[in-house]
Amino acid sequence: MKVVLTTKPRKNPRIPVEAELLIPESFLDPSGAEELTVWEGNRERGLSDLFDIHVEGGAEKAEEVQLVVRGDTGTLKRVGERMTGGRILIEGDIGMHCGNLMKGGTIEIAGNADAWLGREMLGGEIRCRGNANHYLASGYRGEKFGMKGGVVEVFGNAGDYTAEYLSGGKVIVHGNAGDLPGIEMAAGTLVIMGDCRRACGNMTGGEVYIHGTVHQMLPTFRKVGEKVMGEPPAPYSIFTGDIANRGKGTIFIRNYQYLL
Amino acid sequence: MIYHDVLCPFCACLCDDIVVEVEDGRIVKVDNACDLGTHKFMSDEKLRSPMRRERGVWREVGMEEAISRTVEILLDADRPLLYGWSSTHVEAQGLGIRIAEVIGGVIDSTTSICHGPSILAIQEVGHPGSTLGQIKNRADLVVYWGCNPIEAHPRHLSRYTTYADGFFLNKAFRERKLIVADTRRTQSARIADEFLLVKHDADYAILGAIRAIVRGQTDMIPPSVGGVPKQQLLRVAEMCKKAKYGVFFFGMGLTQTAGKYKNVRNAIELVIELNRHTKFTLTPMRGHFNVYGFNEVCTWMTGYPYAVDYSRGLAFYNPGETTAVDILARGECDACLVVASDPAAHMPKKAVAHLSTIPVVQIDPQINLTSAFCELLIPVATTGIDAEGSAYRMDGVPLRMKAVLKNVHPTDTDVLGEIYRRIRGAKGCG
Amino acid sequence: MAELLVKNACVIDPLQGIEGDIMDIAIRDGRIVESVRNGAEVIDAQGFLTMPGGIDSHTHICGTKVNFGRYMSPEDMRAGRTVKRGKMHATSGYSVPTTYGNSYRYSVMGYTTVLEGAMAPLEARHTHEEFSATPLQDTMANTLFDGNWPVMEAVKEGDLKRVAAIVAWILEAVKGFAIKLTNPGGTEAWGWGKNVECIRDTVPYFGVTPAEIILSLVKANEMLRLPHSVHLHCNRLGIPGNYSCTIGTFDLIPDLNRNRQSLYATHVQFHSYGGSSWPDINSKAEPVAYAVNRKPQIVIDMGQMMFGKTTTMTADGPMEFNLYRLYHNKWSNHDVELETTSGIIPVLYRRKNLVNCVMWSIGLELALLVKNPWQCLLSTDNPNGAPFVKYPEIIALLMSRPYREKEFATLHPHTGSRVLLPSIDRELDWNEIAVMTRAGQSRALGIDRIGKGHLRAGAEADIAIYPLRIGDTDPSREYEKVIGAFRKTMWTIKRGRVVARDGEILVEGKNATIWVRPTVPEPYRMEQDPDFVRNFERYYTVRMSNYPVQHHYIPRNICIETEAVL
Repeated sequence: MKVVLTTKPRKNPRIPVEAELLIPESFLDPSGAEELTVWEGNRERGLSDLFDIHVEGGAEKAEEVQLVVRGDTGTLKRVGERMTGGRILIEGDIGMHCGNLMKGGTIEIAGNADAWLGREMLGGEIRCRGNANHYLASGYRGEKFGMKGGVVEVFGNAGDYTAEYLSGGKVIVHGNAGDLPGIEMAAGTLVIMGDCRRACGNMTGGEVYIHGTVHQMLPTFRKVGEKVMGEPPAPYSIFTGDIANRGKGTIFIRNYQYLL
Repeated sequence: MIYHDVLCPFCACLCDDIVVEVEDGRIVKVDNACDLGTHKFMSDEKLRSPMRRERGVWREVGMEEAISRTVEILLDADRPLLYGWSSTHVEAQGLGIRIAEVIGGVIDSTTSICHGPSILAIQEVGHPGSTLGQIKNRADLVVYWGCNPIEAHPRHLSRYTTYADGFFLNKAFRERKLIVADTRRTQSARIADEFLLVKHDADYAILGAIRAIVRGQTDMIPPSVGGVPKQQLLRVAEMCKKAKYGVFFFGMGLTQTAGKYKNVRNAIELVIELNRHTKFTLTPMRGHFNVYGFNEVCTWMTGYPYAVDYSRGLAFYNPGETTAVDILARGECDACLVVASDPAAHMPKKAVAHLSTIPVVQIDPQINLTSAFCELLIPVATTGIDAEGSAYRMDGVPLRMKAVLKNVHPTDTDVLGEIYRRIRGAKGCG
Repeated sequence: MAELLVKNACVIDPLQGIEGDIMDIAIRDGRIVESVRNGAEVIDAQGFLTMPGGIDSHTHICGTKVNFGRYMSPEDMRAGRTVKRGKMHATSGYSVPTTYGNSYRYSVMGYTTVLEGAMAPLEARHTHEEFSATPLQDTMANTLFDGNWPVMEAVKEGDLKRVAAIVAWILEAVKGFAIKLTNPGGTEAWGWGKNVECIRDTVPYFGVTPAEIILSLVKANEMLRLPHSVHLHCNRLGIPGNYSCTIGTFDLIPDLNRNRQSLYATHVQFHSYGGSSWPDINSKAEPVAYAVNRKPQIVIDMGQMMFGKTTTMTADGPMEFNLYRLYHNKWSNHDVELETTSGIIPVLYRRKNLVNCVMWSIGLELALLVKNPWQCLLSTDNPNGAPFVKYPEIIALLMSRPYREKEFATLHPHTGSRVLLPSIDRELDWNEIAVMTRAGQSRALGIDRIGKGHLRAGAEADIAIYPLRIGDTDPSREYEKVIGAFRKTMWTIKRGRVVARDGEILVEGKNATIWVRPTVPEPYRMEQDPDFVRNFERYYTVRMSNYPVQHHYIPRNICIETEAVL
């Protein structure tokens, strides 16, 4: 089954639209799509008020659904929330909280993702071809655990607080990550191909690989060894910490510099 | 007429020993207040009546027109923002929250551009705190980090810390040690026993290093951290551990520099660590006299201290997303009610620019920079001068602001109460 | 004149000795009357269980500490959100709901009166502000005196009259209801990061012992003729082996009042631990209950713990720090100058955790081993042992041995060797439950005489009607039915108006605050006492004239005036 949603022009396109029902599960009942609603600010709207809906074929389970979202999609929030299977393809940019609490399936984003992509994710895969904003694969305010499972891969750069409270699963950033990636991280794996600043503050566990340079390396990690790794092979420093927090995380770093 | 024990409606020290002399309906003399407080008491000039701007022309309008137009704007909006609140009383703040709930708006206070990060940090690790009197009576070590009380909270040192004699400290100035950390040598730094000159954005690393040192882990600390020599860090950690009662005050030098709430979190975790050795507490140096009151009332009514989005009929909270400055910068809101604050003076250009594209109503005793962006200005009585009501000191102590002048203008509670009543009527929940 | 007639009610009203009679209840202008005219509004109670409105005599729902529990816990807030609907405001929170959340959820369970367990006098205004946002219950506040400097100084001088006079001034100033002692002496020691061990330990600098503080205030309480007794959170909360401290405390207390207890000891589950450390903790509910059975001057509440997430909050600051060191989650603390302190941490009670299982058993054991239900009231020390929404399950556990056995089977396998619960057959009856959830609270708080907790003519018309007929319900077997019925009334009537109907809140409501004003003879008026005034101005950071809570904060209130005998 393939569902294509194309945004219609809106009077005020800057007002965000909360669309947590845009998940494969919502389209299993073919007549159900007509009754789905989304919220544009404080107004509840029918899905067809904001989207042209095109459906091909049918499906019995989420895995058989491909949901394509097209058009002016940068203000759509919570797409893919709690999805368990199937595939969502965002042809452009996507708004905040895409794929939060996602359990399974795949989300492909052709453009950039706004903040909180994959927040508190439990399973499944998210691939973002552009950049991801702050709080990529992070947690919710006040919670002890962030992302617990699944894979998030960003081909561009990521913003600040990437993988904050990471507690499982894998996060890969092909470009640079901003300030404080891996902060409060407890488990799981974070890979940054480029540079970042002040990595892994307060981390208690998990593994982090930084293939570029860590600027303003935090002084509370203890160097415990070196290792040749990467492609092409190069020497990496191995750190453990965060000592300030009795942490036992491990970071493999290509280059680093302190702010002395 | 002389009024004693008046509360000062300027900063969150909420000094309550002000003496105000009134003659012929004017304040003629203010004793005990600092310059900032005195200025606020003495310069309370207001508009005579509400003003409305249409096609660029301002005219005086009656309260009836002002209120009915405000109601119309708020009811029309799909994403209204209600912002400000820090310089009014709790009762008015509560009405603002009610209005946000019934119209499905976002309500936020100036917290989000000052100590919002402190709250986010507290939500991660908690807050070992105390009232200011506990500090006055016991603290033999005072830390001011990223704040300059001598200029921003002028009576803080004389009422609560360095110069305030307390029950267990008879000669406070000699018996208390003072540590100041800042990116420049401020006036407060000049009286410190120990001054840490911190490089820009280095607070997080330095606080982390002190935490590790307090835990006895020193080997991996480089010879200096963010401009502070390791020797000094060792000395400071030792001073903190040896104190009988230490206190950590911090300001926007910590909350609004890179890392924001993570800086504060590191400070809190340092204080928690120190509690394994001695007694240590922490208090944010809140700015406006009732900024903390908004956080309190917002919490008991909505569950969250600020930045609450009611657009779907329930309270949603996510600073960064639901905070006023972010909503404005993204150009989301389509109407704005500004109460008791001046966002145009304190927010980034991009956020302020959006105000000029939407209807804005300002309820405030005074004209300020934000007024230039408004369609409607509604003058009201000033809380603490000609309006009464509750306010919460920076440490959470609730007090009642007094009125020393008879009000000619309605209070915030009067105006917001009427707006709320009409909106409820229109929504059919009268 | 608003009149209401509740017909065919199956009434249990222990204070009147009514145990399940089918009767009509007439109401006029918010009070119970002998009869109403024809034409009054009628509710047909259809023989459903009808009781006076529930009273919670120890809960944390309003004030600085409670609000801080919300403030620091957005994760708890999102766990319990409801939308704005009809007369109901939006609510947030599970273990520490917003004021409206508390008020609606209590009301739906038939509760009409609640006592906030701990109010720091300096921050009283805050508690009262939240009371006015708790519209469907009448409210009152325990006022903290555990670390009060002028009180401790007067205790040290042995000047009981001065103790009483200080209490009188503060209670009136802050519009408080009763004397609360939380870890007496320990909260002052916590000002230096220290604690007291038990009642014979000395408070640093002040040189008094908890025993002296407790006994002096118990006596002062009677000199002031306060409606409630001293309300005590014993020293040593939550520490294995603390039961001996608890019993030692009970042994201090003389029997001073014919109408009620002389000491109300709260959340005694947390104070009935045997063993010497966490690994060997065991239940000492039996000796504690035995002490209560021998002493009519003691009333306790359970402080039952139930499994799941909650938030602990208490004025016992040092205890919370110890708890933080066990859990390593977030920790808040708030010392209040010259008076007291408080602490907050979130916790998760688990069936896999042996200590938690022992705690769960102890609370139930206390309720089943204390013979007289008037001496052991139902509570969770909300939200410390569990959020109050768990009360229906506790009622069912007390009424059903099979339910207890079923639950017990899910606990940590070693629980049986540490506790007595499996050997207890007792199943409480409807009347005993009514005592433990309203009548007992009313008498213990001394509010039976202002028309709370019973349905006698003249009483406040606060009534809970539960969708259950006691004649055709066997609580031992049908415990699920009991839980369901106590979760949601058919009707909750407050001050003569139906406020909740089958889970829906129908009115906005407005609370009344119950407070006390003890009058002391002229020479004992503290506002005229030079020492008291001088020390106040010197050591507090607020002026004495700005301290008293203005009447503005208690727009609707019931003042209980007493004449002190000094």
